[in-house]
Amino acid sequence: MESLVTANVRQRPVRALVSAAGVALGVCLVMLFTGLARGLSNDLERRSQNLKAEIVFTRDAGSTQLMSNAANLPVKYAEELLKIDGVAMAVPDIRYVSQGGKGFGFEQVEGVDWEQFAAMNGMSLVAGRGPQGLDEVVIDETKARNNKLSVGNELKLFGNQTYRVVGVYTPEAGPRVKMSLAAMQDALQAPNKCTWVYVKLKDPGRAVEMARKIDEALPGNKIQLTRDIITNIEKSIPYLGVFLRTLVGLSALVSGLVVMLAMYTTITERTREIGILKALGASRGFIVGEIVKEAVLISVIGVAAGFAVSFLAGYVIQRAYALPFEYSWLWGLTAALIGLLGGALGALYPAVRAANLDAVSALAYE
Amino acid sequence: MRTILQAENLTKVYRVGSVDVPALRGVSLDVEEGEYLAIMGPSGCGKSTMLHLLGGLLTPTTGSIHIDGEDLTAATDAKRTDIRRRKIGFVFQRFNLFPTLTAEGNLKLAESIHGGRDGKKGGDPERRREVLRLLQLEDKMHHKPLELSGGEQQRVALARAVVNRPALILADEPTGNLDTENSAIVLNMFQEMNYRFNQTIIMITHNPEAAAMCRRIIQMRDGQIVAPGPRVQI
Ligand SMILES: Nc1ncnc2c1ncn2[C@@H]1O[C@H](COP(=O)(O)OP(=O)(O)O)[C@@H](O)[C@H]1O
Ligand SMILES: [Mg+2]
Repeated sequence: MESLVTANVRQRPVRALVSAAGVALGVCLVMLFTGLARGLSNDLERRSQNLKAEIVFTRDAGSTQLMSNAANLPVKYAEELLKIDGVAMAVPDIRYVSQGGKGFGFEQVEGVDWEQFAAMNGMSLVAGRGPQGLDEVVIDETKARNNKLSVGNELKLFGNQTYRVVGVYTPEAGPRVKMSLAAMQDALQAPNKCTWVYVKLKDPGRAVEMARKIDEALPGNKIQLTRDIITNIEKSIPYLGVFLRTLVGLSALVSGLVVMLAMYTTITERTREIGILKALGASRGFIVGEIVKEAVLISVIGVAAGFAVSFLAGYVIQRAYALPFEYSWLWGLTAALIGLLGGALGALYPAVRAANLDAVSALAYE
Repeated sequence: MRTILQAENLTKVYRVGSVDVPALRGVSLDVEEGEYLAIMGPSGCGKSTMLHLLGGLLTPTTGSIHIDGEDLTAATDAKRTDIRRRKIGFVFQRFNLFPTLTAEGNLKLAESIHGGRDGKKGGDPERRREVLRLLQLEDKMHHKPLELSGGEQQRVALARAVVNRPALILADEPTGNLDTENSAIVLNMFQEMNYRFNQTIIMITHNPEAAAMCRRIIQMRDGQIVAPGPRVQI
C-alpha cells in the first residue's frame, strides 16, 4: 500500500526533487572538498615518500621551501657534502613553480641530474631516455596518463617555453616534470646555483646524528630531515581541518534550511489534511512522525543523488584537471548523516507547528 | 441500554478580539447506543460547535461530556485525541478524504491511526470488506477521490468513519454538498450502518427528508435546544 508519505512525495515531484537537490548539494560540498583535500595531501605525501634522501640541505633557514622559487644555494656545496664521512650521495636540485599547465594553473618542475636522482631513489625509465638537452624533460607515468603525453610530445613550461618529452619514469617522486640541472639553471638564469642538495646517507639509521655532523661541518645552513618535511606538509595547511569542519557545518545548514522550507510550504498547503488527521484521532507524535518521515525520504533521495553527483564530478574533474580525489568512508558517512539529520531537523519545526494547529480551523482552511 | 453520550449544560463562548460570541448557551443531551439522531436548526445556531465539542475537537467553556463512560472534558488535549481515536468517527460536508490516497489508502490510513499503540496496524480486513460491500464500494477501492463522484466520496468517508467500529459517528451536514439522488443514496447508507451495526449516529442536517429517516430529531435555536424530539423505538 502506498503510504501518506510516499503519496505526498509523488504528488509534488518537483518540490521533492528541488528539496532533494538541496540536500544533494550539501553532500556534494562535503564529498568533493574532503575528497580533494585528501587526494591532494595523499598525492603529495606519496611523491614525497618516494624520495629516498634522508637529509635536505638548504641555505634559506626561513621556509620549508616546498613551493620556493629561490635557487640561491651554490652547487659547490654538493662537493663539500660528499667530503663528509657517511654521506653516500649529494644531489643538487632546483624546484620551480611554473605557470600554466592543468590543475590550479601552476605546477612544480624539478631540475636535477637524472642519472644521480634515479639511482638515489631507485627510479627507472619505462620509455625513452633521461633529459640531456636544454629543452628536454622527463615526466612520470601519472602525468603521461593524465595529460596524454608520451615520448616525442611537447609541453609548455615557464609560461610559453616549449619542452620536449624524452622519457617517462616510475615511480612518482617529487614534481612530475624533471629536466637536467643545467637546463633549469639556464631557464632561470641561475648558473651554478640550486635550491637544495639531497643528501643520501650510507647508513639511513643515523640521519639525526649525521644532520648534526653536517651542521658542524657547514655551519649557517638549514639541514632538514626528509621525514620532517613530509609531516610538515600537513602542518603547513594548519587551517584545513577548521575549513573542512566549517564546510560540513554549512552543508548541514543548507540541507536543513532547504528541507525546512520545503516542509514548511507543504504544511501550509496541507493544513486541511492535518485537520483531518486530527479528526481521525492522530496524535501529535503521529503527525510529527509523518512529516519527518517525508523529510527523511526526501533526504535519502538527496543523499543518494549527492553521492552519485560527487563521484561523477570527481571523476570528470580528475580527468579534465588532473586533480586527485580520494574519498573516505568516514567523510562519506559524515556527509550522509549531515544530509539525513539536516533534513530531519529542518522538518522538525514545521512538523511541530503542524501538530500544534487547531483542528477546527485547520479543517476550515481553504 | 448503554449510554454512549452524556452532555450536561454545555456552553461555548468564542472570543473574537475583545468581543465574546456565545455559540452555545447550556445544552444537555443523552444519546443511547444504537440511536440515530438528527440535529436541525438555522445556520449559526451552534450545531457545528456542539458537534466539535462532542468529538473533542473543541473544549466547552463550561459543562461536561462523557463518551462511552470516559470524561472528555476533564481530559488533557492528548487524552481527548486518544478518546477521539478510539471512540469517534467524523463525517464532514466536504468529504475530507486525502486526495493523494486511493479509497483503500484512505481507509487503511484511518485503520493505522486507529491501531496506534495497540499494535493492530493491519486493521481488520474482514470488517473492511463487509463495510465496503454494504457501501457498494468494492470496485472503487483503487480510485483516488478526484476520480470519484461526490456521492462515492462521501460513501468512502462514511466507510472510513465506521471501519474502526467507533462508539459514535458525528456527521456534519453529510449531504450538504450532494445532489438529491446522491443524497438519497448516502442517507440510505447511514441508515444501513445504523441498522446493521447498531451504529450510534448524530447527524446535523438541513434536509427534512434526511431528518425523517432518523429515530430522533433535535431542534436548535440560538445556542439552545428548543425541541428535544421523542425517542422512536423501532
Ligand atoms: N471560530 C469561531 N470564532 C468565532 N465565532 C465562531 C467561530 N465558530 C463559530 N462561531 C460563531 O458561533 C456561532 C455558531 O456557529 P456554528 O456552530 O458554526 O453554527 P452552525 O453550524 O449551526 O451554522 C455563529 O454565530 C458563528 O458565527
Ligand atoms: Mg455548521
